[in-house]
Amino acid sequence: MIIALLIIHGLLAVALLGAITHQAIGVWLPARPGAQSFVARLRSVSTPSYVTAVIVLFIATAILGGIIYPAYRLNVRIVLEQYELHKANGSFELKEHLVAVGMGMLPAYWYLWRQPLAEQYASSRKILTTILAFIVWWGFLVGHVLNNIRGFEV
Amino acid sequence: MSALRSTPTFAIVFAVAFAVVYLLAVENNWALFTYHPALEEFGLWVEKPKDGPAMYWYGWLATAAIGAFGIAALASWLPGAVTERIGPLWSWLIPSLVMINFAYLLRSFFLR
Repeated sequence: MIIALLIIHGLLAVALLGAITHQAIGVWLPARPGAQSFVARLRSVSTPSYVTAVIVLFIATAILGGIIYPAYRLNVRIVLEQYELHKANGSFELKEHLVAVGMGMLPAYWYLWRQPLAEQYASSRKILTTILAFIVWWGFLVGHVLNNIRGFEV
Repeated sequence: MSALRSTPTFAIVFAVAFAVVYLLAVENNWALFTYHPALEEFGLWVEKPKDGPAMYWYGWLATAAIGAFGIAALASWLPGAVTERIGPLWSWLIPSLVMINFAYLLRSFFLR
């Protein structure tokens, strides 16, 4: 059961990573009109269309992470401590705090992206989206590395 | 109309308050409840570990969520002349500083 939840947690994280990364790229590097390359298409996404997906996926991924967290606490963290893998252990500690702070930012994120987009919020919209993207990337990479260290022996 | 006007204040103050209350909750261990994963038991407020580790993260989240909701709700009632000064900059600046603070607090993991 925990393994199934861990896989679903990972899949949701991949979807969230894709959504927030597309949005962050689109908001910082909007495509020039007429460009048709792969990169141009990546940059030309409709950035507001990702907001609901990002919020729903962020909350769903965090809830699933919270459900499997006790298994990590009992079966993974203890091993990390025994093998003195302090950086891996600390990376996860930081992940839990970053995700918590990120969840608190979601109402502001939703508000800043509310249609019609307010021009005076453009800078804050960019920065807040980038911070959320950083949190998601940090969480994803740390989770991936820890899973590689411990595997599915949960 | 009033609810619409107070939405930005609530959203921005919630982001600030959640980050600050969460930081205070972690530093002072103000967990609303404790979870004992080995026993699969919840306990109200902060409890010492019993037969395995105690988890406070859920309790810190609950403390931060309730605290931030209350603070943001109160801020929404402030007069417009005051709330106009609460710009969107605060919604990412304070949480960013809190995240940097967490990185600093956890530095011993990375410097060993």
